[in-house]
Amino acid sequence: MILHPASLALLLIALLVSAMGGYAGYYGMRILSRWDPQSGSEGQLELERRTYLISTIMNYILVLELMSLFLFVYTADDLHTLFTGAMCAAGTLAVNSFGYPALLLKIVNFLLAGVWLIVNYVDNRGYDYPLIRVKYELLNLVVPLLILESFLLFAYFAGVKPDVITSCCGSLFSQQSGGFSGDLASLPHLPMQIAFFSGMALTLSSGLVFYLKGRAGYLFSLVSTVTFLLAVASLVSFICLYIYELPSHHCPFCLLQKEYSYIGYFLYATLFSGAVAGIGTGVLMPFRDVGSLARIIPTVQRHLAAVTLLCYTLFTLITVWKMIFSALKLTTAF
Amino acid sequence: MIELSGITKSFNSGRSNQFTAVDNVSLVVKQQQVTVFKGPSGSGKTSLLTMIGCMARPTSGRIFLRGVAAAIPFQGDGVEAVEITSLPERFLNEIRRSTFGFIFQQFNLVKGITVLENVMLPAYPTGEGRALFRARALGLLEQFGLSRHAAQKVELLSGGESQRVAIARSLINNPSIIIADEPTAHLDSKLSHEFMAIVGRLRGEGKSVLIASHDPIVFDSPLVDALVEMRDGAVLDSRGER
Amino acid sequence: MNRVIERHLNILEFTLASLLRRKGRNFSLLAMYLLVIFMLASLLFFVTALKREAAIILSDAPDMIVQQLVAGRQDLVPVAYAGEIARIRGVTAVTPRLWGYYYDAFNGANYTIIADDAAEPDRVSIGSGVARVRNLAVGDLLPLISYDKVPVMLEIGTVFPSASDLIAADLITVSPVGFHHLFNFPAGQATDLAVTVRNPKELSTIASKIASQFPGSRPVLKSEILRTYQSVFNWRGGMTLLLLTSALLSFIIFAWDKATGLSAEERKEIGILKSIGWETSDVLLLKFWEGAVISLTAFLLGTVLAYGHVFFLSAPLFAQALKGWSVIYPRFQLLPVVDVSQLTILFFLTVVPYTTATILPCWRAATIDPDAAMRY
Repeated sequence: MILHPASLALLLIALLVSAMGGYAGYYGMRILSRWDPQSGSEGQLELERRTYLISTIMNYILVLELMSLFLFVYTADDLHTLFTGAMCAAGTLAVNSFGYPALLLKIVNFLLAGVWLIVNYVDNRGYDYPLIRVKYELLNLVVPLLILESFLLFAYFAGVKPDVITSCCGSLFSQQSGGFSGDLASLPHLPMQIAFFSGMALTLSSGLVFYLKGRAGYLFSLVSTVTFLLAVASLVSFICLYIYELPSHHCPFCLLQKEYSYIGYFLYATLFSGAVAGIGTGVLMPFRDVGSLARIIPTVQRHLAAVTLLCYTLFTLITVWKMIFSALKLTTAF
Repeated sequence: MIELSGITKSFNSGRSNQFTAVDNVSLVVKQQQVTVFKGPSGSGKTSLLTMIGCMARPTSGRIFLRGVAAAIPFQGDGVEAVEITSLPERFLNEIRRSTFGFIFQQFNLVKGITVLENVMLPAYPTGEGRALFRARALGLLEQFGLSRHAAQKVELLSGGESQRVAIARSLINNPSIIIADEPTAHLDSKLSHEFMAIVGRLRGEGKSVLIASHDPIVFDSPLVDALVEMRDGAVLDSRGER
Repeated sequence: MNRVIERHLNILEFTLASLLRRKGRNFSLLAMYLLVIFMLASLLFFVTALKREAAIILSDAPDMIVQQLVAGRQDLVPVAYAGEIARIRGVTAVTPRLWGYYYDAFNGANYTIIADDAAEPDRVSIGSGVARVRNLAVGDLLPLISYDKVPVMLEIGTVFPSASDLIAADLITVSPVGFHHLFNFPAGQATDLAVTVRNPKELSTIASKIASQFPGSRPVLKSEILRTYQSVFNWRGGMTLLLLTSALLSFIIFAWDKATGLSAEERKEIGILKSIGWETSDVLLLKFWEGAVISLTAFLLGTVLAYGHVFFLSAPLFAQALKGWSVIYPRFQLLPVVDVSQLTILFFLTVVPYTTATILPCWRAATIDPDAAMRY
């Protein structure tokens, strides 16, 4: 167990998020079972009021998840001095087997909370609560994950004991290690670059088609989701190398440091926002024809597609800029 | 035109203290007229007005707004009527804000802020630019002879002035229907007659005015186009076009 | 977009007016809030500053030092070890170090005296702290008393600039000859040995070689010292934070209570707002801005006050509980370090619990029936 102020803050947030999520989930279930928009009964009015509370809670959860995601990475980085061999956050997270799952779940939960809020936003525009079931079934999926995340976080910090020898960035991402992150790093640069840029090109072109003609929404959503994964893999595989200007430092976390002018925050912010908007577009697709939403969803989707286009373009521009002006030149022989 | 069909409102339903404030009322209220709801207190006229004014939803029954401009965007193009009973709160509210203005028995002014701010208050959440509605509020104060009180706190106003501030406030979002609940209960006869004069002016501007009152100055006024008599939550008598 | 912004601005304006109208109530909340943030911020700033100080002090330290232990106590190291250690594969240099403390009976201060090979005999460099307490300048003579009670006059060559105060404030560097003379230090011995290694990854291997080759020697790695410092400070900080949690908790309960116990006046006011066309989400927004204004005010004031408390007044409220650490100088000004992460942690520990505690009461207030204002 580590009594670091940041870890205490993270645990507190996890506790609050779980409690709020549990509360929202409980009332979400009640809404699912007792909802009757035709009725003007007091019970129904009470449930309708609860929806305001649940929206508010989910807004808070989204903000908290995003902030705690960065704080988590920061804390991991700050704690690395406590562990022999850990050179940065990558090493600290590998101290026990809960670190990386907690981080991944945090990202997933952030994306899910974002998608939930998109659905909620659209639902609130419809005058007959058109997506109320979808919304609260989705909530039932999110809440257990939020609670699981808190559990992992507790397990991680409880299991962290200073001085445990851990692998540092260099060895964690070395070509020999068989771990998940190691696999990412061992993806060769050239194919990864090709995959990344074609993913981006596909997302941008399908996004443009969707934006202009309103067609191929599913395709766009799928491509943008895959590109999100490709972009994360590329960050580890080659983008970070250009930023660190080191041929072997495959760390997705040091990007967030001051030494690299906090460029990571910008990269992750654009990537995550783009992904939430892209996934959200696809999630809304099946409801385009639902009566009261027929005119609302296409507009919202266009806005979402525009967000994805903008964010991904920015991400790509930074990447290209870093690749061109980096002191490091990767050759295919690497 | 506002059309009510089978409107019932009950409180504490399913419990021992259940009571029905409005019982199966069906009614048509015409536009650009003064309609007075007459009856003793507890007759359900206030509850009925809150439901017409989109403040509360009936337990059962339907209310249609026909040809009310502000409400139309919520339905598809070409639809004249909006059925407001099953709309979620945020839509009811949108309709209420743009269509109805309210004048209350207790005036319901917010203490501690100025007369001008009180008048502007309903416009705050609409997202309209402050300068726009401020100009409108000043115009209304001028119209009701309250300009010199604009920067005063509302606590310092007399009853008649408070009433006129409340009327100005009800008009800030330029509604087509004004709903007044016992507007003359706290006014002496002179001020009550003044109030009715203002009502006449509003009707002249093409607004509909709905008043709940058991004050003869109100319901015997020559301005009243339609009179609805209520008792125990039901409509006893409804006369129109006097 | 414009309408959204206008709506926020309009409601924010009303929020500010509302807050000012209920001064008494909001002031007591703000005062409590401020106190909690001030205490937590002071604690965080202080612990982080101490960690930073330790890191700065250690940044110039060699990767490894070798000490000699006799009967479990630190003793002098024979200089002869240096040559043998230097022959271990991977070691690039071994430097015997001469240093110690000098107690100045004049003013009760302790100076750190280090022998510098480059220094001329009879000339010294002193830290600005020494210069200040003894009122000396370059060219003056620094009188010290050697172990044999013989006064020694040393000419001051340079005074270290105050930028390096932290490390050098109490420093006096003398020549090795002067050092031996001043302390009557035995020849052929050193205080410890500084070892430089070509590849930092081999540090632990080399350390274990030294330990086995020279009985009684104790190699200490810089990273070990650093880690120990960090652990101790984290632990102390965390413990104090846990103690402060009770304060935090009572504040949250207080905030909850304030938010739940809406006065009749305020309840009526929300009723009026709702009756004249404000929606639940508008009132929620009003309440959100109310919380945000109070939180931000408390946060800004609290952190600024804590900054002053820690960095200008040297944290009188915490120093006893947290410092107690002889390595840190008894009287020194902490170097101001505040970064985004500390503020984020502070935000998480104070504003977030406060906000969470008020969500439910705010929502309750916001869902007052709009027709409540008509039912009296």
